[in-house]
Amino acid sequence: MVPLVAFQVLSAALFAIGLYGVMARRSAVLIVMSIELMLNAVNINLIAAASHLDGMGKWANFDGQIIAIFVITVAAAEVGLGMAIILRMYRNRSTVNVDEINLMKW
Amino acid sequence: MVWAWLIPVLSFAAVPLIILFGKRLPAKGSPLAILAILAGFAIFWVVFAGFLSASPDTEGCEIGVGTEALTCNFKITWFEAGIPGADTSNHDRIEVAWGMTIDPLTIAMLGLATFVALMVQIYSLGYMRDHDGNFDPRLDWYYAFHALFIASMLTLVLADNFLLLYVAWELVGLCSYLLIGFWHERPEPREAAKKAFIVTRIGDVGLLVGILLLWSQVGSFSMTETFAAIENGVLSDGVITVSALLLFLGAMGKSAQFPFHVWLPDAMEGPTPVSALIHAATMVAAGVYLVARAFPLFSASDTAMLVVATIGLITALGAATIALVATDLKRILAYSTISHLGLMMLSLGAFGYTAAVFHLLAHGFAKALLFLGAGSVMHSTDELDVRQMGGLRRVMPVTAILFSIGALSLGGIPILAGFWSKDEILVAVNKELPVIFIVLTLVTALFSALYMARAMFVVFYGRFAEQFEHVHDAPKTMSITMGLLAVFAIVFGLLALDLPGPFKGIGYFIFYHEGHGLVVVAWVMGLSTLLAIAAFIFGYLAYARRSINLDGTRGTFARVLEVAENKYYVDEIYQWTVDRVVLSLSRFIAWVDRALVNDVGINGPGDITRVLGDRLKYHVTGYVYTYALAMALGLIGLAIFWWLVSR
Repeated sequence: MVPLVAFQVLSAALFAIGLYGVMARRSAVLIVMSIELMLNAVNINLIAAASHLDGMGKWANFDGQIIAIFVITVAAAEVGLGMAIILRMYRNRSTVNVDEINLMKW
Repeated sequence: MVWAWLIPVLSFAAVPLIILFGKRLPAKGSPLAILAILAGFAIFWVVFAGFLSASPDTEGCEIGVGTEALTCNFKITWFEAGIPGADTSNHDRIEVAWGMTIDPLTIAMLGLATFVALMVQIYSLGYMRDHDGNFDPRLDWYYAFHALFIASMLTLVLADNFLLLYVAWELVGLCSYLLIGFWHERPEPREAAKKAFIVTRIGDVGLLVGILLLWSQVGSFSMTETFAAIENGVLSDGVITVSALLLFLGAMGKSAQFPFHVWLPDAMEGPTPVSALIHAATMVAAGVYLVARAFPLFSASDTAMLVVATIGLITALGAATIALVATDLKRILAYSTISHLGLMMLSLGAFGYTAAVFHLLAHGFAKALLFLGAGSVMHSTDELDVRQMGGLRRVMPVTAILFSIGALSLGGIPILAGFWSKDEILVAVNKELPVIFIVLTLVTALFSALYMARAMFVVFYGRFAEQFEHVHDAPKTMSITMGLLAVFAIVFGLLALDLPGPFKGIGYFIFYHEGHGLVVVAWVMGLSTLLAIAAFIFGYLAYARRSINLDGTRGTFARVLEVAENKYYVDEIYQWTVDRVVLSLSRFIAWVDRALVNDVGINGPGDITRVLGDRLKYHVTGYVYTYALAMALGLIGLAIFWWLVSR
């Protein structure tokens, strides 16, 4: 059996890659994709922890799986919303480069 | 008697009607005001008759607290405040009524006010025209103000509680402001109106505080309850004295007592009929009325009575001397009014309740007559400086005769009205006050006769001033009203005698505690008569025949005359006080407001926030990655913190 740590390392690596993507990318589409990556890193972490806990007691614990399902659902909705916003952004400003969208300040 | 409320209400009702529709009505709606006050005058007689036939058993009537005279009260609730159903005496609840008190004092004032107002309003029909006979362009407003003025005064007189009285009191002040400043195109009436309003307002503050002090002690604004509380000894002597003095402050402002007398001579800038109204029936009468109305309060405090008498005497004597040297006909009359108001106050302070009210009435008729006469002179000649006038009886005989009647009456020539009332005052002063008071009062009486003689002889007798060859006498509206007033100025004093019938004489009608007939103190009556007659003979010789030359005396007393001609520099003292004390204090307060309250207190926090925002705004870059980095760093920071804590 693959040890839990392996999953956690994978999860952390994916999360870090996602975070890097959010901060480093200029395209709003890529930023959304990076956010998805981070969400899925969390999902892996949750499911791994849940299945690892399965073997430890009489009663199986499904909490991790349930939260993962929630995350997937919310992520799907969020992507839909996010992509819609990006689309509107593009329609208005003919660009999805977030550096050029810097009006939310003083 | 219940219908007495209609008297002021009719005039009140005329006000909006004239303002709204006056322009479209004949004579600009002035008949509305005149009809309203005429109806009021008619109702007054009904009320008077009802009152004479009433007894303590009549519904609403009882023997009044304090005065011991028949008093009838009618009221409906105006408003209530506080805990419903609670007791009023401990301030859990207050009840204020639209109420009226009808007692002899009210009757006297009602009669005087409605009659003089009626005469003045009819007279104004003749007076408020230019030389071509056209009405004043704002005649509708003039009559609306007149109606409001007299309605307020009548409300004041009828009020049975101090709060309603105060409301009416302020309305009277407002109307005097509006009417004194009626010709506001010129600067002087504007200034005079402001002066009248502000000076009387200073006194009004005292009145309001006094009323509230009484309420805080009694728990009611009702006069009956207040006087009952005084009678039953509920109030301490200190409270009685202080509240009486505060009320007197209001009376001093309204009745132009020293040192608040300065507004009344300036009020001459208003139309002359307004002066007649102010000086005889409304406004200045209100102060004397207030002291008379609150007499149970005043008479309970010896200090207050002495203050009233002293202020009255100072005012009477001071104003009389100024009247002796004034050169403007209306100002002579104005200072004469101040002097006589002083006499009324003096009389009240000397427990001469009947005398004071009697003199208020007698003076009211005579003074209204004199002012209307002066108005007639002014209307025809456009001149007010008595030095320019002379022998006017040749061109305006009717005015001359009527004015002379008023002057003789006010001067105290026997059997005319002023003689009787002045004599009663002298008797009261002689009985109650130290001997210095009666001496100075007699001097005042002498001066009073002298300046009346001067005004009368200089203007109407003596050498004819040629430039007035073509002036005309008063038109009928003016001469008839003056004639009616003259009748009263002649015969009114006879009420002082013991009369047959239900009205036994003024002493049995208007009294405090117990009625009495005419009191004659032979030497007082003799001396005052002698002085009055001597003054008029002297006036005739000095001003009409010019057989006594006054120029020499004038040189001898130059310094004294200068002081009197400058009205004892009271106006200058006020001006100095305002310029030096009030304005510098105001400037300091303005500086505190600007420098401390505004710059530090209000702008300070604003400036701090703005500077802080200016410095802090740069962390908001608008770039997504800045926010993302901040979030990531925050997350890492939290994780480290958590790790450290959980270790």
